[in-house]
Amino acid sequence: MSEKGKQRDTEEQAILEIRDVSVAYDGLVAVNGVSFCVRRGDIIAIIGPNGAGKTTLLKLITGLLRPSGGEIWLKQQRVDRVAPHRIASLGVTQVFQDIQLFSNMSVVENVMAGCHVWTGASFLSTGLRLPHSRAEERNISDTALRKLSLVGLGQKAFYSPSSLSWGEQKRVGLARALAAGADLLLLDEPYGGLIAEEIGKLSQLLLELQHRGITILMVEQLTDVVLDIANQVVVLRYGEKIADGTAAEIQGNEQVIATYLGNGPLEGDER
Amino acid sequence: MLDLSAILQFFISGVNLGCIYAAIGLGLFVVYGVTGVLNLAQGEFVMLGGMLTVAFYTAGTALVPSLLMAVIIAALVGAMLYRLIIYPARNSSGSTLVFLTLGFAFATEGIALSVWGWEFKSLPSFWGSPNIQLWGATIFGQTPWVVGTTLLLVIGLFFFFGHTIHGKALRACADEPLGARTVGISTDQMALFSFVLAASLGAVVGAVITPLTMTGYGVGMPLTIKGLLAALVGGINRAEGVILGGMALGMAEAISAGLMPSGYHGVIALGILIVVFLSRPRGLLVAPGKV
Amino acid sequence: MRTVKEKIRALLSGREHRMVLALFAVVLMTVPLVAGPYGVIVMVDVGLYSIVTMGLILLMGFAGQISLGQGVFFGLGAYMSGIITTRCGLSPWLVLLVAAVAAGAVAIVVGRALVRLRGLIVAGVTLALNLVFCSLVVSLRDLTGGATGLPLIPRLPLGGFAPSNTLFSYYVVWIVAILLLVFSLNLVNSRTGRALKSVNLLAGGSEDTAQVLGVDIIRYKVQVFAVGAIYASIAGSLYAHYTGCIEPGAFGVHFSVLVAIMAIIGGMTSPWGAFLGAGLIVSVNEALREVMPAVVGGSTGAYELIAYGSILVATLLFLPQGLMSIWRRLQPQERFR
Ligand SMILES: Nc1ncnc2c1ncn2[C@@H]1O[C@H](COP(=O)(O)OP(=O)(O)OP(=O)(O)O)[C@@H](O)[C@H]1O
Ligand SMILES: [Mg+2]
Repeated sequence: MSEKGKQRDTEEQAILEIRDVSVAYDGLVAVNGVSFCVRRGDIIAIIGPNGAGKTTLLKLITGLLRPSGGEIWLKQQRVDRVAPHRIASLGVTQVFQDIQLFSNMSVVENVMAGCHVWTGASFLSTGLRLPHSRAEERNISDTALRKLSLVGLGQKAFYSPSSLSWGEQKRVGLARALAAGADLLLLDEPYGGLIAEEIGKLSQLLLELQHRGITILMVEQLTDVVLDIANQVVVLRYGEKIADGTAAEIQGNEQVIATYLGNGPLEGDER
Repeated sequence: MLDLSAILQFFISGVNLGCIYAAIGLGLFVVYGVTGVLNLAQGEFVMLGGMLTVAFYTAGTALVPSLLMAVIIAALVGAMLYRLIIYPARNSSGSTLVFLTLGFAFATEGIALSVWGWEFKSLPSFWGSPNIQLWGATIFGQTPWVVGTTLLLVIGLFFFFGHTIHGKALRACADEPLGARTVGISTDQMALFSFVLAASLGAVVGAVITPLTMTGYGVGMPLTIKGLLAALVGGINRAEGVILGGMALGMAEAISAGLMPSGYHGVIALGILIVVFLSRPRGLLVAPGKV
Repeated sequence: MRTVKEKIRALLSGREHRMVLALFAVVLMTVPLVAGPYGVIVMVDVGLYSIVTMGLILLMGFAGQISLGQGVFFGLGAYMSGIITTRCGLSPWLVLLVAAVAAGAVAIVVGRALVRLRGLIVAGVTLALNLVFCSLVVSLRDLTGGATGLPLIPRLPLGGFAPSNTLFSYYVVWIVAILLLVFSLNLVNSRTGRALKSVNLLAGGSEDTAQVLGVDIIRYKVQVFAVGAIYASIAGSLYAHYTGCIEPGAFGVHFSVLVAIMAIIGGMTSPWGAFLGAGLIVSVNEALREVMPAVVGGSTGAYELIAYGSILVATLLFLPQGLMSIWRRLQPQERFR
């Protein structure tokens, strides 16, 4: 009963709530009883060493994996038994650690594919190019181009994804996710493999997105950059949450320091 | 009405057919297990085994040498299939490899047609084995040879995979190709070997069933399909599953042949198996891992 | 220099295709004027095969779903048209549409079961379904005429009369083929086409990504399976009315594999590949029929099989993207790939 009261309290703020969620791969417990809450409009970072269960956690949220226990609430709806494409239509999308651009499409088509969730033309209406579908396609291409320019790749619209650098591919992945118009964006290691200059730009972009009202949940190996821009940090280790708080609180946490022992207070463990 | 002799008759022909499908399924299983290739040319080796044995036999060679030569030639053809077609494309997707085996199957069928014509061919039952009467049921003279050969092949395979270095190496390739390479097993040689093994297996089966079922240039593809379906129903990841699936298809065919109006039994048996498979896509023996 | 935006608009509106398409249509409409009766007969075959192959390209080339069972739906269309028009005397045109819808419905049921399986396994199961279909046609003798076939199927009528010449069939087949080509091109350059490509595990798609972008992967795979079936069924109906007599051998495993060969050889990255593949295979076939009897005598079936098999193997080994890839390579580089 007090649970319900608490839920109502956070209703305006919480866009996502993870409650005691667990999952295992063939016996290996990858996420174990993790709970946390994501406030609307925040940038929240999940950090932890390799194999901590960060990627698994994101897959649970987008529905690609089903938790064996616990609940996931998204915008006041329980989603832990909902099909991934339905979760996507609730305004959540994910950029994977390996991005997974569609290599059978050009860059701009990749971003256009991101518009799938908010469009609805059927087989028949696209095949016959009915007026409704034509208008929709125009809308899609405009959106895709805007998102591509936003990440600075407007000029490479017709390139094949495989001809882009890693950093550019990451930006296309981000543009594709943005094209989906989600207000909760899950990013799996968005900084991974970027060069220094790109890192600064990405932080700027993420802050701008936050400014536009998009909630960002990102997973990172531990980096200073993340601590700079995140409003909230959740630390995972061996599938369990060991700390949750602001960057400052986390940096003072003994368990966290112990996890990263041997390096500076909060560095290292980067790949 | 159904009496004991009828039931016995169904059972006997079911076992007989089941052995054929199981043996073809095992050929598919060996290649699929070791290389991941779904070899849709497996039935062509059965066809080659039968046709070559008939060719040598009718040319005056004795049965055993005919059969041996047929198996050796089929094995060579199997090696060629791997070396010339599969190996150059080994890094392609699984679907490309399937289509390569299909192309090979077409070409083999065409060559057989141009060499031997379209007539069906047969052999007398081995050493003139007479038909046996058993409680009112008839066992064709060749049936014991079919069942016996399949049993020998199955025992041989289990012994081979379970107890010889070579067999264990093959299994290692199937389970963990990278690991197998690291410990010095040549996955390439193992793949070649699996094709040769499957081809010889198919050829032996083809020769043994010819006195019962006859053979012709086009028998390969339907046999491949039936063997494949049998393997899928039982679970293509395990030999036990493949044998079980083969027996299930054989029994279904024999029973529907006995009970249904003539002409329908092929449809019913295959139809049942497809439905069973689609409702249990992991196979009757639920094996962990891939479907 | 056009801006990127204009280029995208052009791509979307189909303007890029429009000229080629118009040229293609004009050439096809004039073929009968220059080709003799024999050429027209051959071209009807090419048209029929192209329709089935185009459906398979959408299914296999775009959505990455292997099917070796298109013969089932070709046969369904042909038998439904043949049986209903001979027994009930309904309008062949109406029956063609009804058959296409029915084939699509069957495909939805079958497709639902198939999408859960891995691609290779689907190849095997569809092959098995085709075998069952043929045995079924043979078994249902009273309905289908069994192995001897179903004769006396009426010609397609035009207005009040039924032109019985090949020329009429030629125009019907090719107008349908061009309409379906336009439909396919629209489809692949749209939201639907991108959704299909996103689930294509044979060529660069990713199911996880497709799903987090909101693509209902099962629904798209099932629907494109149905679309492929409808194409095949339409071709089957046209074939039945064209030949006037159908028998199960025409819809067997070999037919399905041949269609897959055409798709692969033509190239599966564009619906245009269907015409290249069908054109090449039918030409090879005709050439063999002309040449082989003179050289070796006897039936040419054997050489057809050998030729199909070797062409398939050679294509997969040396030109895995099919004939379309040659054409693409000749295109200006600014376009993607
Ligand atoms: N598909 C899978 N099957 C079996 N085990 C898996 C699978 N995916 C992940 N694991 C295991 O689950 C655990 C958590 O993996 P996860 O990918 O979530 O970690 P992570 O925190 O994202 O690590 P990284 O920083 O390396 O990306 C690891 O021990 C991993 O080996
Ligand atoms: Mg990870």
